[in-house]
Amino acid sequence: MAEHFGLKYLRKEVLPTAFCPGCYNGILMNALFQAFMELGIEDLKRFVFVSGIGCSSWIPSPFIKADSLHTLHGRAIPVATGVKLANPELNVIVIGGDGDLASIGGNHLLHAARRNMDLLVIMINNQVYGMTRGQAAPTTPHGMITPTTPYGNPERPMDVASIIAGTNANYVARWCISQYIPLKNSIKDALSRYSRGFRFIEVYAPCVTYVVRREGKTPGEKLKELMKKCIRIETWKNMSREEREKHVATGVFKAEDKPGFIETYNKYIAQALGEK
Amino acid sequence: MRSAGFLGMGGQGIVFAATVLGETLYRLGYYVAQLQNYGASVRGGAVYGYVVFDEDEIVNPFIEELEVLVILHEQGRRRWENIVRKSEKIIYDKDLVNPVKNGIAMPIAEEADKHGVYRAMNMVALGIASRILGVKGIDEAVDEVLRSRKNYELNIKAYGIGLELAERARI
Amino acid sequence: MTERLFLSGNEAIVYGAIDAGCRFYAGYPITPSSEIMHLMAKELPRVGGVFIQAEDELAAINMIIGASWAGLKSMTATSGPGFSLMQEGIGYAVMTETPLVIVDVMRAGPATGQATKSAQGDLMQARWGRHGDQYLVVIAPMTPQEAYDLIIEAFNIAEAYRVPVVFLMDEFIGHGREIVVRRGADKLVVRRKPSDHEPPFGSKDPRIPPPMPRLGEGHYVLVTGSTHNEWGYRDVHGFETHYKLVTRLKEKIWDNIDKIFKYKVYGDPDARRIIVCFGSTCRPAIDAAERVGGTKVLRLITLWPLNYDKLAEELSGAGKVVVPELNLGQLVYDVAQVYPRSKIRVINKVGGGIPIYPSEIIKVLEA
Repeated sequence: MAEHFGLKYLRKEVLPTAFCPGCYNGILMNALFQAFMELGIEDLKRFVFVSGIGCSSWIPSPFIKADSLHTLHGRAIPVATGVKLANPELNVIVIGGDGDLASIGGNHLLHAARRNMDLLVIMINNQVYGMTRGQAAPTTPHGMITPTTPYGNPERPMDVASIIAGTNANYVARWCISQYIPLKNSIKDALSRYSRGFRFIEVYAPCVTYVVRREGKTPGEKLKELMKKCIRIETWKNMSREEREKHVATGVFKAEDKPGFIETYNKYIAQALGEK
Repeated sequence: MRSAGFLGMGGQGIVFAATVLGETLYRLGYYVAQLQNYGASVRGGAVYGYVVFDEDEIVNPFIEELEVLVILHEQGRRRWENIVRKSEKIIYDKDLVNPVKNGIAMPIAEEADKHGVYRAMNMVALGIASRILGVKGIDEAVDEVLRSRKNYELNIKAYGIGLELAERARI
Repeated sequence: MTERLFLSGNEAIVYGAIDAGCRFYAGYPITPSSEIMHLMAKELPRVGGVFIQAEDELAAINMIIGASWAGLKSMTATSGPGFSLMQEGIGYAVMTETPLVIVDVMRAGPATGQATKSAQGDLMQARWGRHGDQYLVVIAPMTPQEAYDLIIEAFNIAEAYRVPVVFLMDEFIGHGREIVVRRGADKLVVRRKPSDHEPPFGSKDPRIPPPMPRLGEGHYVLVTGSTHNEWGYRDVHGFETHYKLVTRLKEKIWDNIDKIFKYKVYGDPDARRIIVCFGSTCRPAIDAAERVGGTKVLRLITLWPLNYDKLAEELSGAGKVVVPELNLGQLVYDVAQVYPRSKIRVINKVGGGIPIYPSEIIKVLEA
């Protein structure tokens, strides 16, 4: 039997992964590796993965066979920025969760997007802090019960993709983990057609342990539910407010190919030093 | 080791006066240390700037006894009483500073205003300090330093007024 | 190329860092360190380096960590409040053995305190500001010239021992302008890259820091701030791995103390009256010792690791020991470890940006 295409991108010696049975991180990893394969990427020598703290931060470290920096909680993006600026030849990918990237690291996310920093950021939105027993995150739905919201979440969730779409970021998309093919194609796009500037892909994938099982569902049942719940943004826009709240808008929010920060920075320096 | 300093308030250009003096003495080949103390805001508050210089390396620039001290505002005088008490030659503005014991009152602001260089009062103060220090080649070097900065015409005119004031007072 | 310049300590740091091979700077503006950032923004691109203004100090410290792993000598500069924000990142750099230089131009704290006023209150924070058991190097210059010379040394130590170096300066040195001779670096430490079989996070002899791979060269390096074995694999359960790692990180610094630790004696080396000091405060101390005679000044250049044996040796037979500091007493704790506290006289002054004057030291010396 032929080896699974993803294995060559993995450190086989550390498999199996540490994720909960049924965790949707596996689907994302599959999509990521399929995107690499379809782009003809043989190995990940020239890729650097940077992650913070949380379940999804464990995807690259230690599982992906590439250079990886497993950084402090919330600080993946600045570390990735430093790597990319110091060696622009490297492909730098940040993988992290909603708590890591949008809460404790929210400021960095905004500013990297504002700079249109040449990074691909994949944010897995599992709606909670999955690694530390499922406390409420900035993405937790209103009313959801978690250990820190025992009477229901009084706060309202953050629409991260829309916020980033409002910055100078080049590419912004949100996909549900049940939308495998468009998710995979989106990752491919963010590494090929849109290979510069800030690219942000939010992956909507509720935590199977602290969201799905709390709802009394299996990961498989939840996937079926998500297939109905996650709809294209065009459809979502035409819905009533009530209907919108019951659905997740997915698709490409923004796709531009403006020069990224590195190009702009180099241009300014060249101009200034040339004039001397 | 020789020294000169300026006391005043934020916005008067005290630090700039010390900077120009520091750079001047550096150009003349001295070992120089220029220090300043100012507040967080651009305007107001006591400001103090001074320079120590020598032909040898400077061991310690943190001194209280200045050879020459020009005071442009009461705020500065009050804040740095220890320096005022211990310094040798003290010149102060007759209108902006309360009388200083053993100090010499001069119409610094008044003269500056009369000649239309009120906002370069700091350069008048620099002129006075320069003349008292009497370092060889200092006027030419100040001219060079001021040429490299903004508002040369205004500043050099004010500096000249300072030289004259000191001359007239024969200090 | 030797240039005689008139520079503030902040400016001297920039030229020293560039001459040391620093090619990456990330920072966030803060008084009284901002001039470092201003000049870096201007000068770094001229030598092919990269400058970026970070969104905050958390980003700044983490950006330089990333840049260091990508192969560039990297630094940041800040002051008290920003230094506090950087602590977690500095701890990460200690754990991941990332060479960095962090300049802290001290101002009067805590909190916002007095932004433009000199102080020496960050000594303990420089050493112990992070959680957990961690050791790094702290160096303190005394003059703008030393800001230039010692920042080169700071980069060399960072590279040689794969450790963050805190460059602890105060506002007087940062903003004070003096003659600085830009003489260039005598020697520059070059980062050692690993062969295929050399682990990047371990060595048999703890005194020899492991080699450091550069990202993008096929080492497939795993960098993590979690407890890890010599190949970078996380082990967040075992006693053995954690104990071995943190012990090695300590020994890497403390077992090389003879090479790292530097101090200098001024005044009368045989005198029984001794002043112990660091940073700009040593200048009025040396002045006072010269004026009254019969006084030795023991000036610590390396503040961490501190060679307590050497300190004890220098203080053996001492009569009166005076410790002047621009804080409420921090260095005095070190002196008290090797000398009876009852015989130590302190001079503490902080706030308003008023230095300790020689007259004040003389008064205590002669009391």
